[in-house]
Amino acid sequence: MKNRLKVLRAERDWSQADLAHRLEVSRQTVNAIETGKYDPSLPLAFRISRVFAQSIEEIFDPEESR
Amino acid sequence: MADNSFRDFCSGPQRDRRNQRRIMLWTFLWACSFVAVTLGIKRQWLPLGGALAGVIATSLLGVVTVLAYRRFLNETDELRRKIEVEALALAFGIGLFGGLSYWLLELSGAVPAKGFVWIFLVMIITHPVAVLIGLRRYS
Repeated sequence: MKNRLKVLRAERDWSQADLAHRLEVSRQTVNAIETGKYDPSLPLAFRISRVFAQSIEEIFDPEESR
Repeated sequence: MADNSFRDFCSGPQRDRRNQRRIMLWTFLWACSFVAVTLGIKRQWLPLGGALAGVIATSLLGVVTVLAYRRFLNETDELRRKIEVEALALAFGIGLFGGLSYWLLELSGAVPAKGFVWIFLVMIITHPVAVLIGLRRYS
């Protein structure tokens, strides 16, 4: 699944560790989501949506990234 | 990108580190108890009652270790949980199917009897290796 996590994070000048702290996950989880290696669960997708104040559809695209 | 698998294995949120320390502590106590009871029984230091008490104490420490691991799994972040569950599945699969295959070989006389204990050793090694491979795959 494609996503705009890296772009949104860069716009806010946050490191992966900053975002991981806000989402209460590990830095590795943020990295795996950004690189498309891991698709987040629905609760985590909602947390991401809240952190960036955007809808899930605006952040995630169901089209395969790999 | 640099390979951070080992660092990620040892780090993570503070909550995970605390839970991992608990698991290590209980595993260490269980291992000490296991070794002490094994030696006590083999070298006949323990009377039957003492041996039974030792086995019960070791089993209880094992239960506490499992509960500490379950707590870690419940509280860790979802990617780590996925990696741990995949590693557990692999270790369990090797233990179950490898163990039964070994048992069949033992029945046929192709391998020595009482070699079964090696399957447990393979299971114990498989889990952390599979976790490291999983961390590397997702990093």
